[in-house]
Amino acid sequence: MNDVFVLDHVSVSYGTTTALRDVSMTIPRGGITSLIGPSGCGKSTLLRTLNRLNDLVAGARLEGTVTFDGADIHSPDTDLVDLRRRVGMVFQKPNPFPKSVYDNVAYGPRLHGSPIDLDGLVERSLVRAGLWDEVTDDLTKPATPLSGGQQQRLVIARCLAVEPEVILMDEPTASLDPVATATIEELTRELSAIYTIVLVTHDLRQAARISDRTAFFAAHAHDDDTRHGELVEYGPTAEIFDSPADERTREYVTGGRD
Amino acid sequence: MSPTSITTRHNAHVDVNPLRTGIALALLLSAAFAVMTVGGLSYRREMLIAAARAFVQLIVVALVIAWIFTHPQGAFLYLGIMLIVAAYTSNRRIGGDNRDRMGVLLAIFLGAAATTTIVAVTGALEFSAQTLLPFAAQMIGGAMTTASLAGVRLRDDVHDQLTTFEGYVALGATYQQAGREFAKRASEKSLFPTLDQTKSAGLVTLPGAFVGMLLGGASPLAAAQVQLLVLIGLLLVQAITALVTTRLISPLPPDLGRSIAVTEAVA
Repeated sequence: MNDVFVLDHVSVSYGTTTALRDVSMTIPRGGITSLIGPSGCGKSTLLRTLNRLNDLVAGARLEGTVTFDGADIHSPDTDLVDLRRRVGMVFQKPNPFPKSVYDNVAYGPRLHGSPIDLDGLVERSLVRAGLWDEVTDDLTKPATPLSGGQQQRLVIARCLAVEPEVILMDEPTASLDPVATATIEELTRELSAIYTIVLVTHDLRQAARISDRTAFFAAHAHDDDTRHGELVEYGPTAEIFDSPADERTREYVTGGRD
Repeated sequence: MSPTSITTRHNAHVDVNPLRTGIALALLLSAAFAVMTVGGLSYRREMLIAAARAFVQLIVVALVIAWIFTHPQGAFLYLGIMLIVAAYTSNRRIGGDNRDRMGVLLAIFLGAAATTTIVAVTGALEFSAQTLLPFAAQMIGGAMTTASLAGVRLRDDVHDQLTTFEGYVALGATYQQAGREFAKRASEKSLFPTLDQTKSAGLVTLPGAFVGMLLGGASPLAAAQVQLLVLIGLLLVQAITALVTTRLISPLPPDLGRSIAVTEAVA
């Protein structure tokens, strides 16, 4: 199957607030799909729907269907552990566990049954995340003193260690300096050869630089001061940036380019 | 000193005169009321209600325990009820659901039962309703406080460090498995009050059992022995109850993480 995720008329609300309304889109296997748009447009909500992390938000409710590899992820038969193992996530703020570098990466594999060669898996994951050379001598030291960029690569290594199929990235460079951002972007590009990556970003140039497809979301304001997010336009990145069909997309992508 | 010498000391029996007790209580309460009035403090009504509740509850408990002393098998019923009330109280404080309450109940039971068993088997306290009932009751009380502290702490920590919690969950950890990563710290924090109380025993305050035994006419050394059994017993209770509570209750409040409501798409 070529489509990893299929969203069919998906609306997400938190309590009485609608965060995202009536989104239908498909995310194909491989490459990077960027979700862009202003704050409050529901792009992070959409991302967190894909591994059902919105379950952890009070009053979260979903209408419509989301399928992963053809299976409805909200069906009662869904194995959440399996879903989250196959769909990894990297967060906006690096969130290393208060453990050693090694134990951070080994957490997932241990959880799902220790592989025979855990040391090898930890090393491979750190190598693939481009962090191995920097932490080789500090594997048993706590992960928290690492720099922001290193922490984010550690979180990516941690995610790779459970051998996911998809990696969800929620503004992974939002809290990083330009050098660390460039490193993460390059790494993301490399990883997209193997994994399906869904990237939420505020940085339009980042979306333009590294993603294959881009979805633009807008926040639709109501008279009563509430708003909801909606999908405006979705297509190949070059198309969205160079010849958008919708006026709102044009305004946003040109405004964001200074 | 053998346990029997504690209870059979010729001066261990203290006469309490109900009339004089009544007069003293009335004076204490009136004085408290007057002081609060003069000082302009509110909560006078609450104080009177609290005093009335304590009066009724202690009289009833005294009558029940007096009955149990003549019908020792009733001790199990009494402790059973106490255990259930403790679990309810603690779980309400934590904000848990029915399943959490079963976890809290088990945690309190295991802590109190382990401690009471050791004290009974070693013969440190005489194997009788007179000694073991109040001891077990005190252990249940301590376990209840610990369960509340540890449970509230666990949920607070998870709430405050939700992105870390989400990190575990996003790797495929169940909520329970992710919560376990927070259980150790939450358990440790719940130990602080009793550790302080134990360290300062006799220096800052005279603990309850000690005071009670002195008032009851026991020798200071006998009172110290019993108080030590209580204090050290509470340390074991806490360790067990905190660890079990933080592992059995859900790290998330009942309205989170159990399932997301899904309705059909409006086509």
